[in-house]
Amino acid sequence: MAFNFNWSPLTADADFYKRAQEMLTTALNKSPKPPIIVDDILVNELNLGSVPPELEILEIGDLAEDRFRGIFKMCYSGDAFLTLKTRVQANPLNTYLFSKPSFTSPQPLAASSGLTIPLQITLSEIKLSAFIILVFSRQKGLTLVFRNDPLESLKVSSTFDSIPFVRDYLQKEIEMQLRTLMMDELPAIIHRLSLRLWCPEYRAKEEEEMAQAVKQEEEEVAVDPFSSPPQDAVDSRGNVLDASEISSLSLDGGSEIHSLFSQKNLLRLATLTDSHRTLSLFTPSIRDAVFRAWAGSSERSDSAGSSTPATPSLLRSNSSLGTSTTYTFSRGSDDGHGHLPSRPSLVSMHSATSGLGLGAGRHSRSHLRKKKTRVVNLRKPKTTDDLVSESGDSETSSAAPASEPIVATHIPEEPEDNIIDPPHSPQRVRFRDSNIEVASPQKARLPSRPSLNLSNVAEQAIVDPIPTIEIPESTVPIFSRERRPSFHSSAYPAEKAPSTYTPAPITSDSAEAGSILSQAWVLKMANEIARRAQDMDSKGTREGFWTQSQDEREDTPPPAYQAAM
Amino acid sequence: MLEFMDYIQHAFYDVSRWNYENSYSQLTATARALLDFETPRGLRLNLSSLSSPNFATSYAIGSVGLVDGSLSYLYTSLPLQTTSRSGKIDLHDVIHGYRQIQELRRPEESWMWEVWQGGKRTDKRDSLLYGRLYLPQSTLEALYLRRISPSQQLKLSAVSDGRLRNGGTILALHQYDTGKYSTETLYSTDGGLLGLRGLYNFGPDPREGDIEPPRTEDRFYGRFSAGAEMYYGSLNKSGGVSFGGRFATLPAHKGVPLTATLTLNPLMGNLSTTYAVKAGKNLALCSKFDFNVYSYESEVKLGCELWRMKSRIPKENVRSMAAKLEWRLDPAEENSGPEPEEVAGVLKARVDQNWKIGLLWEGRIKELLFTLGSSIDMKRKDQPLRAIGLEIQYSS
Repeated sequence: MAFNFNWSPLTADADFYKRAQEMLTTALNKSPKPPIIVDDILVNELNLGSVPPELEILEIGDLAEDRFRGIFKMCYSGDAFLTLKTRVQANPLNTYLFSKPSFTSPQPLAASSGLTIPLQITLSEIKLSAFIILVFSRQKGLTLVFRNDPLESLKVSSTFDSIPFVRDYLQKEIEMQLRTLMMDELPAIIHRLSLRLWCPEYRAKEEEEMAQAVKQEEEEVAVDPFSSPPQDAVDSRGNVLDASEISSLSLDGGSEIHSLFSQKNLLRLATLTDSHRTLSLFTPSIRDAVFRAWAGSSERSDSAGSSTPATPSLLRSNSSLGTSTTYTFSRGSDDGHGHLPSRPSLVSMHSATSGLGLGAGRHSRSHLRKKKTRVVNLRKPKTTDDLVSESGDSETSSAAPASEPIVATHIPEEPEDNIIDPPHSPQRVRFRDSNIEVASPQKARLPSRPSLNLSNVAEQAIVDPIPTIEIPESTVPIFSRERRPSFHSSAYPAEKAPSTYTPAPITSDSAEAGSILSQAWVLKMANEIARRAQDMDSKGTREGFWTQSQDEREDTPPPAYQAAM
Repeated sequence: MLEFMDYIQHAFYDVSRWNYENSYSQLTATARALLDFETPRGLRLNLSSLSSPNFATSYAIGSVGLVDGSLSYLYTSLPLQTTSRSGKIDLHDVIHGYRQIQELRRPEESWMWEVWQGGKRTDKRDSLLYGRLYLPQSTLEALYLRRISPSQQLKLSAVSDGRLRNGGTILALHQYDTGKYSTETLYSTDGGLLGLRGLYNFGPDPREGDIEPPRTEDRFYGRFSAGAEMYYGSLNKSGGVSFGGRFATLPAHKGVPLTATLTLNPLMGNLSTTYAVKAGKNLALCSKFDFNVYSYESEVKLGCELWRMKSRIPKENVRSMAAKLEWRLDPAEENSGPEPEEVAGVLKARVDQNWKIGLLWEGRIKELLFTLGSSIDMKRKDQPLRAIGLEIQYSS
């Protein structure tokens, strides 16, 4: 692995300097200035120099073509310099009286009269030493955070170098200002710069957002939550509901879906995932979206049974996480994606898409603007069989709601199956705003789905990136070398924990990836055929609930249910 | 317009015969009153009362941003018989404009304060205590004023505020005034600032006898005063110096009253001159010119003050019934001089070289004293009106 850091192209761009100067100027003038500075601080000259900083890679948490996350140790002692222009108050008594209560002011008559002097400060010989956390994503731009105070020393030379008192004072003040600039403002500046660099429509987007702000609110209110048919027929306890209860329940996820996505987009998404699953070479391009191949590493553990995980509950959560295909859209700088795993369902593609497409109107726009992070879960909702198995009675499968087709001899919903199965459409689409939705009533409703506990598990995984992910991964030999370095460091605040374990994205279209993938599929298929044959054999003999739930459906009940059972 | 508590404080100076104006810090009082007046912001209400001759309370509520207010209490050991009703207060006492320099008074001797009773001295030194609490900010102001002797006064002022460094500051000011000259020494805990101010009045010494006005109409009959101040911050090793002089005509001057000052800051190269004339009975004009010899920065300010008097309704001369019955005229009333004029309002205006205009209209409506002010920036065409405010005071 090699990294190529380019220092000179950044500094060669004249436009870059202009922009950086503007941003530095605004940043310097934003924080309250000390009373000695009586004018705006103008960045007169900025030069990053020719000596690049020394970077030492301490850890790389995430690496892909479109995103990167790592910790660096940076040392810089280059020849960069910065020239500032401002005007300072030279009378110490004047600055002394500033921001002092007038009640106890000595009220000098003329001794405090001001003398403003134009001042030019040159900051040079900047020595930095810092631990940097760098998070890059093509959508969210570049986020750079200093873990410690980066400024080691710098030389301040000004017009007052001959007066030691003023020089010392300036040195002290400027170091203080620079520290706050580095810690607080610089990350924001870099983020904005990077967004402008990689997202040309960033600015236009922002303006559009501003303009539509009022409109959104109105439209959001106008969404009718009852206008779509229910998707799942189960309540928060996992019990099967009858038709009347279904209708009353329908104002959560399902209704949201139709109002958020247009049918066209969903069809495209469906084609995309299916192309991935069916070895089709055609991948439709979707704007502003990054498609990551899901190698299906974790679900193998179930089907192959080659390894016995330590705790069944962990395994369950993992497998269910693994089987879902995640589409991650991100807008803005929100961290903390999560994806809500849901079960595959038997609802056919057609009905699903039509149901989803019902409300594809103007409302979808408003939501698209509002939500910052969207996770489209292309995995199908849970089957009715699952509900049955969860309720602990394998014989009542026929009691499932009639609205959903029941296939008794349901083919296990695994990615392995998907190779053979006709493509399924994305069924469950959820919006997730990491901050808001946790507390929102809609979130509270999510448990009404069979995936209640799974979603909870997924959230735990989001909050704490460490748990449970390692076990199933170790069972997949094919993709193991493509996997990222393990994710033990909790330095990253839990960003899209489940999805980060995906191997290299399929969008890269490289020959290597293709060959590896095809190799994987071939292996998978062989595996699957063998397994199914075994299943058919064992079906007659093994009738127990556990075997059924494990064999017939890869979708196991959520951990909590499992524990209860 | 002076706040009620400042008005009471000035009344204390008057009653205790302290010449407030004979100080270097008051050298440019006229120019400050005419050019550097504060324009109120937002709405402000003051409710005050001098409930007894020794005790005064004042409540203020304002609306700058959110609602804020203050409570203040004042206690003085010297009974004040001053007018405290806002309907009766002479506006000249609460609105400071052109300050006519008075003849120096002969200072009291310390034996004048002695009160003997049964062979023992029973006189006490007069003191004033004042506290003010600003409510949402939780800022406390405290003042202790003590007349040590007829020529000395001690003033301790303190501010307690959690946002200040060290939680607050204390300023101690000792004033010594003999009439001919006055000195002030001060110490502030904030930065350990030490200060020294002095003012010397040229001319006859009031201690040697009452000054009698000149008989001939001199071209200028006035007084020249000169002074200096010096500050040194013992903690931050900084300081400041200024010199100043003033010539002001005295009330006996027959011509147009005028005041001219010159202040000089040799360290910072700042030169400031002010010139104020009382052009008419109700009109005062003032100008100020600042120049810095180091940075060549200059500043010009012009201001005026216009007092509007209520037109007096001439008293009708009606024969009394008793006089009619007796077939005679009323006895001729001896004319006891012109009645004191009622002030309708005072307009103050100032403008500087940046076309920043400040306007202030102060007056009385019924029992309420009001101050209506606005600051206008003509350079900003889109939004010239920078601030507008109304302050209403009621006191009893």
